[in-house]
Amino acid sequence: MTAASDQAAGVVRRGLVLSAIGLLGLAGVYLLALGYTPVEARQGLAQKIFYLHVPAAWAALLSFSLVGIASALYLWLKDDRLDRFAAASAEVGVAFSAVMLTTGPIWAKPIWGTWWTWDARLTLTLFVFFLFIGYLGLRAAVHDPAERARFSAVVGILGMLLVPFIHLSVYLFRTLHPQPIVLKPSEPSLPPEMLTTLLVSTLVFTVLYLGFVTTRYGLALADEAREEARYAV
Amino acid sequence: MPFETPQNGEYLVAAYVITAVILVGYCVALWRRAKKSVSGNRKA
Repeated sequence: MTAASDQAAGVVRRGLVLSAIGLLGLAGVYLLALGYTPVEARQGLAQKIFYLHVPAAWAALLSFSLVGIASALYLWLKDDRLDRFAAASAEVGVAFSAVMLTTGPIWAKPIWGTWWTWDARLTLTLFVFFLFIGYLGLRAAVHDPAERARFSAVVGILGMLLVPFIHLSVYLFRTLHPQPIVLKPSEPSLPPEMLTTLLVSTLVFTVLYLGFVTTRYGLALADEAREEARYAV
Repeated sequence: MPFETPQNGEYLVAAYVITAVILVGYCVALWRRAKKSVSGNRKA
């Protein structure tokens, strides 16, 4: 093994350890949500989906925002690490979006009476999910590393531009989706047990994001090290 | 008007199971890719 592949293996190992810590934290969130938080009187047990849906949305939008920032910086600095990070963050963002887009309808059905409605927030969220699946498809289709990085950086920046619209869509358009109860100008409107569980869950999803991205980044490094070793022979 | 708290625990169970499946599944997929990648680098 070369020094580069040793370094990649170290990054992957750190990422997997962080991911395992995140998954243990997720088990803790399940216990907190089911045993510590009260049952909301009007929505019943289905309200507890909130403790997964909102942090998943946070992690997904964080991922996509960082893809855009890393992509813009890549176009400016041409540093391969930024492209590698953007690719890792996009893939992880798609995984968190899958959680957001499945838990949302499961929560909506008993509360709104429908699995899905084509309102602004839901539609934009679905679009951004498809856009980043397209981003990953583009990366798989273009083989020249410099071209792949440049093309996907443009798509990554366009995807990031949708993120503020998703956050503000509940203010800009008439929608069934509730308005923010934590990230808003006034104080969070939640009982302390619910707020604590939500904040713990958000922290756990952030740790999971860091673990997944570090692992995925390390895997990209390992692939590059293998390619380099093959051409060196 | 008084109201009854709805009995909808099955939706909670479905959401919690699906979240665990997606996140644990993705972590396992990364771990398997890592195992394959390390063995590939050893061969190289």
